[in-house]
Amino acid sequence: MNGISRARVGAAVIAVTALALAGCGRDSTGGGGSTESAAPISEGPATGTVEVWAMGTEGEALQAFVAAFVEENPDVEVNVTAVPWDAAHDKIATAIAGGQTPDVSMIGTTWMGEFAATGALDPTPDLIDSAGFFEGAWETTNVGGTNYGVPWYVETRVLYYRTDLAPEPPTDWAGLTAMSEQAMAAGATYGISLQPGQTGAWQTFLPFAWQAGAQLTNEDFTEFTLDTPEMVAALTYYQSFFTDGLAPTDLPQGSLEPDFMAGKIASFVSGPWHVGILKELDAAGMENVALATLPAGEQEASFIGGANLAVFSDSEVRDAAWTFVEWLTRPEVQVEWYTAVNDLPSVSAAWDDPAIADDPYLDVFGKQLESALAPPSIPTWEEVASVIDTELERLCKSGADPQEVATTIQEQAVAIGTGL
Amino acid sequence: MSATVEPTARPGGQLPPVEPPTDATGGTGRRRTHETGFGEARAHWLAYVVLGVGLTVVTSPFIWMALSSLKSEGEIRQVPPTWIPEAPTLDNFRELFDRLDFPQFFTNSAVVAIAVTIGNLVFCSMLGYVLAKSEFAGKKLLFRLVLGTLMIPGMVTLVPLFVLVANMGLVNTYFGLILPFLAAPFGVFLMRQFFLGIPDELIDAARVDGASEARIFVQVVIPLAKPALATLAILTFLGSWNNFLWPLVVATTEDKYTLPVALALYSTGQNQTDYGLLLAGAVVVVVPVLIVFLILQRYFVQGVAMTGIK
Amino acid sequence: MSAATAVRPGEHTPGRTDPYAIRRRPPLYRRRTRAAWGFALPFMLLFLVFTLGPVLMSLAMAVTDLRSRDLRNPFAVEFIGIDNFAAVFADPIFRKAAANTTYFVLVGVPLTIGLALAIAVVLNSGITRAKAFFRVGYYMPVVTSIVAVAVVWRFLLHPDVGLLNEVLGWFGIDGPNWLASTTWAMPSMIAMATWRSIGTLIIIFLAGLQSVPTALHEAAALDGAGVWQRFRHITVPTLRPTLLFGAVITGIGYVQFFEEPFVMTQGGPLNSTLSVAFHTYNQFGFGNYGYAAAMSYVLFLAVVLLALVQFRLLGEREPRRRRRKPVPAARQEIGR
Repeated sequence: MNGISRARVGAAVIAVTALALAGCGRDSTGGGGSTESAAPISEGPATGTVEVWAMGTEGEALQAFVAAFVEENPDVEVNVTAVPWDAAHDKIATAIAGGQTPDVSMIGTTWMGEFAATGALDPTPDLIDSAGFFEGAWETTNVGGTNYGVPWYVETRVLYYRTDLAPEPPTDWAGLTAMSEQAMAAGATYGISLQPGQTGAWQTFLPFAWQAGAQLTNEDFTEFTLDTPEMVAALTYYQSFFTDGLAPTDLPQGSLEPDFMAGKIASFVSGPWHVGILKELDAAGMENVALATLPAGEQEASFIGGANLAVFSDSEVRDAAWTFVEWLTRPEVQVEWYTAVNDLPSVSAAWDDPAIADDPYLDVFGKQLESALAPPSIPTWEEVASVIDTELERLCKSGADPQEVATTIQEQAVAIGTGL
Repeated sequence: MSATVEPTARPGGQLPPVEPPTDATGGTGRRRTHETGFGEARAHWLAYVVLGVGLTVVTSPFIWMALSSLKSEGEIRQVPPTWIPEAPTLDNFRELFDRLDFPQFFTNSAVVAIAVTIGNLVFCSMLGYVLAKSEFAGKKLLFRLVLGTLMIPGMVTLVPLFVLVANMGLVNTYFGLILPFLAAPFGVFLMRQFFLGIPDELIDAARVDGASEARIFVQVVIPLAKPALATLAILTFLGSWNNFLWPLVVATTEDKYTLPVALALYSTGQNQTDYGLLLAGAVVVVVPVLIVFLILQRYFVQGVAMTGIK
Repeated sequence: MSAATAVRPGEHTPGRTDPYAIRRRPPLYRRRTRAAWGFALPFMLLFLVFTLGPVLMSLAMAVTDLRSRDLRNPFAVEFIGIDNFAAVFADPIFRKAAANTTYFVLVGVPLTIGLALAIAVVLNSGITRAKAFFRVGYYMPVVTSIVAVAVVWRFLLHPDVGLLNEVLGWFGIDGPNWLASTTWAMPSMIAMATWRSIGTLIIIFLAGLQSVPTALHEAAALDGAGVWQRFRHITVPTLRPTLLFGAVITGIGYVQFFEEPFVMTQGGPLNSTLSVAFHTYNQFGFGNYGYAAAMSYVLFLAVVLLALVQFRLLGEREPRRRRRKPVPAARQEIGR
């Protein structure tokens, strides 16, 4: 009896699955690469209820912040749901799968390609003036030639260094190496701390690649160009810090900040959030800490990140959603937002405001933003980035040959494809 | 050397007669003590020491967590970590309760966890009982099916489950938070294994007396199962209380967030973490679990009257 | 249906170890079968909808090339049969992760079970006072936030100021940088996982130990059986179903181990602590849903395999099998 019933159940399962799969089949027509143009937004005050998702502190602060928008547009209601950064990517992905997306959502810059490729995002209409944004920031919204959403706030990476160990910040590659050596002669255990591979190391490395003049893909994002001589030059330079003993290969997690404030590490590369962390750790020691833009190779460059705001194509209140998004990108609103949550504005005009222009640390970030670049917003970027992370680890910890590393990265990236 | 005597079973299950020991030490070579338990006085002391050392090892992170929730952000980040706070402060907790709508999230977590726990206790013990003690067509297949799904990694069913729940209209509802976890294979497996150990004579005797299956279950079997039920209760409650990913995905407005989701919201950032808030949150989240554990833990070891079976 | 049917002498009732009896239907079979299905029904309904349904859907996912771009149109994907599974086995990173996971399970499962059992037995019968205190204490790791756990363990394993290396230094051993070493990172993960998992196992074993009849222990002690012999011949056999349960769920948990490398080493250094579950999580993150689903089911097969081995070693014996060695005392006492 058991045997029979088992076979029956098995057959039923197969039948159901087969039926479901029979309905499957990929559309052979068209696909990515073609640019879409957005329908225009109607003028006038917004109406309807706009559902907004925002992560972290932004999510917390946004609900109160939108009171000014509601004043301008009395017929509109904006409901903000704060979402934790932890697993926010999963939440948006499942929402898209289940058809439960909001009208507007904050989206990390490196997720744009993936979510735009699903067709869930609405292309940016002419209502938005793209010239006002930092170029690198605007590029993060470019997926295969069409722009989706807008950059909301940005972050970029600069050099944090100790003025008591390295009085002058370096302006070029040779200068960076010299500064590290000098700092070690002055008593530091390590001249600089750079991430030697593992999650997120690509964000520290890519600035060097861009400084060397390397391009990651071709113009229309369909092919990778990761094994160019410029790339190899950047890899060689990055590796030199580890092979020369200037940077640690096995710094325990959590040790960077205490060691830096104690003078054991003379410099490191990071974004705006470290200012607060270092202050909390040792406010008095901050007088020996200074920031500088990253040294130039063939040119200046850094990494730009942050978050974008995107409107979903399923939205029933498209006009109101875009009006809201446009309001958030006005320079004066961006300055207000900075005052509320300390997010760096993505609109360059906002940086002229005294609230930002007068801050000593922000000055450096503002300058760096002008030459900051973003990785290509392709759907497969996260996967390619993890390949770079793994190969960087081999480069820095196992002393692999830079040319071989570049070739491996290119091969694996090609196997993954750009997704466009 | 073997001093073990294998008593043979007798009809009725009575204890076999005890044979007198062959020498003063009872054949074990060890001096017998006057202890009525089955340990020796010396062993007790050693056991305490071993357990105590182990205890220090296992509780140190918890102690660090509790102490560090009273520290400033900078002190938490210090390497090597400090233990006693230099300047103890309740600021982390104050900030947590200020920013968090605590009653709302706590209620959500409590409702969901209690519902899931009670549901599991009822449904899993029912199924576990019949899987252990009954014969019926398809029993083996059923057990293997349930056990099999226990072995499937959770992340593979996340998207399909969400699509299913969305199509049922249960997104952002308490039902959506509770229903997927009411039938947990883990509970069935636990109860079945436990019920296997209950002697059939008890159940047969009750049947002979004419009790219905339901009555046997409620009046004979369940009272014997208290340790297993308590274990299942605490494990299910803990799992549901700390569940993060599903409540995050199912809730689309903050009023349905559970406590872990809300805490992650306020403490983890895109590039950095607010450790003070995180640890204060962790302490707050752990207190109800500890309370439930303390209440239930005496049931783990409630004596089961197995020895007087005739 | 008559309610009372006396048990006739010689009649076969389930559970009796009567290997020579012809299998006959026990009394009240039909009524009991109906009752059984009634008991099973609530669970089964929920299970079919909320567990089995998504499982079947994910199986379908595993035989297609579903990627994140297909999320809005999940049916517009190509059926590719076992291509995903073939790709999984051809993936060198998967093979490395599989080797890591096997290492972890083969060492971790026996270690955890042995340790938890030892502590549970000592807690149960080795001490008389402060039992509740110890019970709560050993459960702490299970409820401690992983963040706190990570900080303390990182401190323990710190190369310069870490406690472990300090203690080793007293014996003149120069401890390595545990988490950054490709040799020592995995043993560190095993230690951490063991530490975290014994709490749950201890309370499960404690519950199981309650079924061990103390009268038997006393009788055996009077007969002169030593502690170890009593443990082997009375405690372990009675605890068998509970041991099996503990072994299976520990196996399931360890084959899918994820949190320790995720929090401590991110799979490094050089993928030496990358587990299959972590690799699968990354693949889901990249949006390779079909491929990741296939990998999940490969993991599932590994768990099933492990469970089969465990059932063979620790499972209950079929009543028909002829016994070769004398039945352990506890079995006969309970009459199984």
